[in-house]
Amino acid sequence: MSDSVTFKLDGRDVAVPKGWTVMQAARRENVHIPHFCYHDGLSVAGVCRFCMVKVEGRPKMEIACNLLATEGMVVETTSDDVKQAHKWGLEFHLVNHPLDCPICDQAGECELQNSYMKVGKYKSEMHRPKVLKPKNLDVGSQLILDTERCILCSRCVRFEEEVTKTNGLGIFDRGDRAIIGTYAEEKIEHNYQENLVDICPVGAFTSKEFRFKQRVWFLEEKDSICNGCSTGCHISMHGKSNELRYYRVKPKHSAVNGHWMCDEGRHSYRYLNPEERLSRWWYKDNMNERIAGGKDEGLSILARKLKDTNIDEIALLVSAHQTNEEYEALLAYFVKELGISKVYQWRQDHEDINAFDGILLRGDRNPNTLGLQNALTKFGLKAEVKNEFEKCLLSGAKVVIALCPESPQSFPELKEHLAKLSEMPFVSAWSAHYLPEEIETISHTVPLKGFVEKRGSFTNHEGNIGELSDPFPAVIHGAVDVCEMIESLRELMG
Amino acid sequence: MGDTITKVKILTQYEGMSNSRSLSTYKEHGGYEALAVALKKSPDEIVSIVKDSGLRGRGGAGFPTGLKWSFVPKTEGKKYLLCNNDEGEPGTFKDRYILELSPHMLIEGMIISAFAVGAQKGYVYTRCEFFDEIKWLDDAIKEAYEAGYLGKNILGLGFDFDLDQYQGAGAYICGEETGLISSLEGKKGQPKLKPPFPAVSGYLGCPTVVNNTETLSAVPWIVKNGSDAYRAIGTEKSPGTKLFSISGPLKNPGVFEVPLGYPMMKLVEEDAGGLLEGEELKAIIPGGLSAPVLLPEDVKDLTLDYEAIAASKSMLGSGAITIIPKRQCMVELLKLIMDFYHHESCGQCTPCREGTGWITNILEGFFDKSATVDDIDQIYAICQQMAGRTICALSDAAMPTVGIINKFRDELVSYIERGTERERFSYI
Repeated sequence: MSDSVTFKLDGRDVAVPKGWTVMQAARRENVHIPHFCYHDGLSVAGVCRFCMVKVEGRPKMEIACNLLATEGMVVETTSDDVKQAHKWGLEFHLVNHPLDCPICDQAGECELQNSYMKVGKYKSEMHRPKVLKPKNLDVGSQLILDTERCILCSRCVRFEEEVTKTNGLGIFDRGDRAIIGTYAEEKIEHNYQENLVDICPVGAFTSKEFRFKQRVWFLEEKDSICNGCSTGCHISMHGKSNELRYYRVKPKHSAVNGHWMCDEGRHSYRYLNPEERLSRWWYKDNMNERIAGGKDEGLSILARKLKDTNIDEIALLVSAHQTNEEYEALLAYFVKELGISKVYQWRQDHEDINAFDGILLRGDRNPNTLGLQNALTKFGLKAEVKNEFEKCLLSGAKVVIALCPESPQSFPELKEHLAKLSEMPFVSAWSAHYLPEEIETISHTVPLKGFVEKRGSFTNHEGNIGELSDPFPAVIHGAVDVCEMIESLRELMG
Repeated sequence: MGDTITKVKILTQYEGMSNSRSLSTYKEHGGYEALAVALKKSPDEIVSIVKDSGLRGRGGAGFPTGLKWSFVPKTEGKKYLLCNNDEGEPGTFKDRYILELSPHMLIEGMIISAFAVGAQKGYVYTRCEFFDEIKWLDDAIKEAYEAGYLGKNILGLGFDFDLDQYQGAGAYICGEETGLISSLEGKKGQPKLKPPFPAVSGYLGCPTVVNNTETLSAVPWIVKNGSDAYRAIGTEKSPGTKLFSISGPLKNPGVFEVPLGYPMMKLVEEDAGGLLEGEELKAIIPGGLSAPVLLPEDVKDLTLDYEAIAASKSMLGSGAITIIPKRQCMVELLKLIMDFYHHESCGQCTPCREGTGWITNILEGFFDKSATVDDIDQIYAICQQMAGRTICALSDAAMPTVGIINKFRDELVSYIERGTERERFSYI
């Protein structure tokens, strides 16, 4: 018995594994069958009735999403009657849709709008008053629901059932009075709410965080890896490089995270915007006054300090937030070339590294724990995941180079740690976040690039390497990554 | 045909008997004899007998019952037999008559059918408005348990079967077999996507057979008398008898058991006594509200069997015959039909959810005088795109609408043009 079946899709022979539906086959073959309720990451509901196709020899049209591909089947997706069915399928969806696209956040990435452009009728057949439904409902800490825009595809209900298993949403009432909603007095509280915004094909669910901030067609999307935990979800950052601002994070389908990501990860963009960032090279002048200067002065002061200090009085305090390439450059220079032996891992005080929420978020809130361990091993240092912050404080080092965690979101004790660190004789805090600037006793700061502004890679909890391949220009003028920093130091130190 | 037809009484054999619902009356007249016969045969033999009898589903679709049973996998494990007693098709009131006459006939039919398909548990899903019938069936189930017809080791022949009754909550859609299953599972009554079919994965994911009350009630007679005896009644393709519930301005409306193939006008004129004085026949809905309407000339020589009514582009359906008198305004009737489907659409599939509302919405225009003749064509076009496009057949509600437009287009047009005074249909 063969494990694949071959059938004809629009006249072409297509071979797919046994058990695949026509929809799955069409998606792989880039044959567009319009659909709303079907989603690769959810069970088949078969309710929008939009993905009609014609199977030769069968009297009725069938929905591609629940149509098993069988040997020798002949499927037509573009014949006139199928086109007619799609046109009407869309018309039925539009009958009671408010068509408020000009004020709808989903405009530009709305499947209803896109389908309209592809298979739509260009004149509405509906001449009677539409059914009105509740709007602007606060249904969750991240969510606003407009039940009038909703096309009742049930993706959100299935997401709540199948992915988060929280069953927070249901379809209430029936017929054209049916509305999506939460149960009485209940709201959606979990950490995966914004996935509902992603999978909603229309503007029924919008994100409180993002709504009315930007028209989506103005946004640039660049692929990256989330730095919120050791899962390393594949994401795309949406921002505007001409404005030097980031607006939102969306998950990108991958084997690591499937279709989803958590809300906490999505909020990483907040900490990348200029007002949250360390923007200056701070250092102490001859009078021990803290001043903000340029990159050149900052660099030369650090180089001089390193030159003037005994190698065994220099320490590195390294968080697991940098890329593999940065660890390589850092350790190759300080450990291998200069011979520094005081290298300490900087981790959260009360972390439960093995915690896991069952979906994506892990207790290890560092994106590159494994990458750091690998680098430490490579350079002959003892590799064992542990927090050595206190050890660093007691090390008696005269100069500490502290590679800070990228944001306090996944490292709540960052401020407290920095304050303790600042009591050491000389601390050079390399950070993307503005906190080291706030603590005036920190003698030296280096503004780092954010994770979406550099190239490199993170190694996730299971050794999967995620590439940061498509950086935005840094929103902070003069920000550097660790590799660039090491290169400059090497030049200055000679 | 005609007067020579002998009326065999199968489902209504207890008609006119005192205490007909009691176990003692039922047993006195041969009740539970078929069960003893059946349990001594093999399940496959029972399936063959029912298959050979040509019994077809009496709920509306007319699917061959034995064939439906044969789809159930022969594997071990939990299986369910559900009785669809949610009689909700407007105009239909035949199943309740069975419960009124002899609920034990249904119980016996269910035990035999469960034995045939290998089900260990059965539920009767009863329409919640059947207050008396619910009680009568509960009483009968209790009697059957006490007499050892239900429960463990029935009649000492090694078969176990438990039966319970469940009340619906008034939704028409729960009369659709997968909608019924959803409802029984405690979920919102919405039909399920097929495949998988209930025979493979139904109630709680187990193989499940759903049969109508009338279908199951015919099983004891067939098992007792043999498939040939059943085949001898009715027509070749529609064997047996069927209950017809006939309503409208008639002298003697009610439920009649006649062999399939019985002339429709004979049923109307003789059994139902003909129309009331002063009423004239305008149209007939032959099989419940979902069946397209027929004109007097269509039904003149029409016989009541699945094939003949299908050939006249309507359907036998549940056997609910509704007589429409001359003075009935067809716009009112159309609105009434669409209001019903609009109200009862579960809202799951887009074409039905939006289409039923849309048509109702357009029909409003007939009453506020904003309708134009184009609206008739639009309703027609919408119907074409609703039928056959959804999970269940509710959106085929388009069918009666298309039927009325086909047969009464002139009346609709003149209603729009002249703004006819509204006249309420007083029989539904």
